Amino acid sequence: MKEGFRQAMAWLHTWAGLIFGWLLFAIFLTGTLAYFKDEITHWMQPEVQAYPLDDARSLAAAQTYLQQQAPNAARWFITLPDSRDPGLSVMWQDKVDPGKRGNFIQKVLNPVTSQVVEARESRGGEFFYRFHFQLQMPYPWGRWLSTIAAMVMFVALITGLITHKKIFKDFFTFRPRKGQRSWLDGHNAVGVLVLPFHLMITYSSLVIFMSMVMPAPIVASYGDDSRGFFNEVFPNTHNATALGQPGKLLPLLPMYQQAREQWGGGHVGRLVVNNPGDVNASVNVVRSGADRVAHDFGSSVSFNGTTGEVLRVSGEQSLPAAIGGSFYGLHMGHFAGPVLRWLYFICGLAGTAMIGTGLVIWLGKRQLKHAKTGVMPFELRLVEVLNIASMCGLMIAIAVFFWANRLLPVNFAERSDWEVQAFFIAWGLSVLHAVLRRGRQGWVEQLSFAALLFVAIPLLNALTTSQHLGVSLLSGDWAMAGFDLTCLASGLFLTWAAWKMQHRTAPQPKAQGVRALTLKQEAN
Amino acid sequence: MLLALLMCYAGFTALCLSTDRHHGELLHSKPSPVRRLTLRTAGGLLLGLSTGPATVASGLAQGLVEWCAVLMLSALLLVLLLPYRPRLALILAGVGLLASPVAAFALF
Repeated sequence: MKEGFRQAMAWLHTWAGLIFGWLLFAIFLTGTLAYFKDEITHWMQPEVQAYPLDDARSLAAAQTYLQQQAPNAARWFITLPDSRDPGLSVMWQDKVDPGKRGNFIQKVLNPVTSQVVEARESRGGEFFYRFHFQLQMPYPWGRWLSTIAAMVMFVALITGLITHKKIFKDFFTFRPRKGQRSWLDGHNAVGVLVLPFHLMITYSSLVIFMSMVMPAPIVASYGDDSRGFFNEVFPNTHNATALGQPGKLLPLLPMYQQAREQWGGGHVGRLVVNNPGDVNASVNVVRSGADRVAHDFGSSVSFNGTTGEVLRVSGEQSLPAAIGGSFYGLHMGHFAGPVLRWLYFICGLAGTAMIGTGLVIWLGKRQLKHAKTGVMPFELRLVEVLNIASMCGLMIAIAVFFWANRLLPVNFAERSDWEVQAFFIAWGLSVLHAVLRRGRQGWVEQLSFAALLFVAIPLLNALTTSQHLGVSLLSGDWAMAGFDLTCLASGLFLTWAAWKMQHRTAPQPKAQGVRALTLKQEAN
Repeated sequence: MLLALLMCYAGFTALCLSTDRHHGELLHSKPSPVRRLTLRTAGGLLLGLSTGPATVASGLAQGLVEWCAVLMLSALLLVLLLPYRPRLALILAGVGLLASPVAAFALF
């Protein structure tokens, strides 16, 4: 019974991992990149310059600009620059008839001159963030697919743990240069050692979409009134309606300071001004998610915009909200400083590596049987093509996305859409290439091409902007410099991988066969 | 975070040395039962106690997150170093232990 159970779990691990592995690889890699969303955006919009942070000056600049450009808007949103995102972002919503939603207009301002920065159009890091849970599919299908993938990931993690017999005995074991053995060791090592992260990230992704995945408890407690649930989870700021009489908005800085005092020095995420030109204007100062691990959606202080009187201070989170908020906060990592952010990034890469090694092992095991004849059955060839395209192809697509950002003319129509299309065109071409080339050559060529693209990114940046490594390192613009250096490092890693792939010793069918047998016994 | 990192790395190294296989690989001898027990206790203690400096430095919530991150990545570092640079892996643990009083001094 025991052995049968473990075998069944191994079967589930193998097949669930294979079917969703390609998709999960992409979700993990783009999600990992999303930890540096703001930094990537900064690199992709080099026109937005970083200035020393001064919230008072930024706030005054934003208010001056909005007062001139949108005095009669329905709502203003002001996001102040921070150490990760140097742009002062303002957005406003046009006032239209009640019951309709006005258009949103967003601009990035220079916090010193309060002039609009004419930055190139680009989705930046937001593209990776959105892709990792929406998969570029229409709402809600992408979310459903990625949530199903997350559930399969959870199943794969647990079945993997059950399948892996010697967790503690092999805890520190990694034996390189031993073919299949090394791949399995590596798969186990990154799986077991970074397990807390894998479990956290997978489970929390399900918690984030809980209202979609498990609506039954909501229906049970709230009945048909699902709106009531969302109003409690995301406390809607019940803002006063406009009276229709013109009013004068007070300076925002004192309200900003008062809110920070209220939070014991906590930071401000953004300010929302409702009906700025009306006598009944209100200002909501929303707390930054970077302050605490547990995310609180509704932490804010509201003021009357014309008298400055405090209208409402949001209360403490309830326990379930705090638990949900903790999972949300842990998944997003908004609270992470530079060091912890890098650790998050490395954990994400470890997750990606675990999925990648798993895919390679699946194919490697089955390929051995056909090593003698050299002819691969269709299904193995299909897996091989998908392996190459889902891993190397994705790397190439990411690099092409960055290249497109620098090479497309700044004033090109629908520029940001073309960046995204370049990403998918490159990915599609890599599938085509993998179909046309035999296995090993396909790997080597795509890895080398991705390596070349990444290594050349610092050079490309130097040629197309005035913010090359010499400038960014000297001026202490770590987001810009870090991006270039990370691309260089990724390129060197891919070069090494391509070299390893090229010079891998030819498999010896007999010895490999014996090893495969023992491997199979151990895996089961 | 530094002190927690040093303690976690040294702790995992001690746990690693308490196994026959790795003790043999690294120190070319079989550990005596007493030594095995000592190493295992020391490793466990170091890992457990490293939560202290992590939470003292950055508060309970943030500290525990940082501790988890450091715990996972110190083990990953050790496992990657073992086959390629076994001596360096041991030296790092030794240097880490020596440097931890300095890190503790900076913290408290």
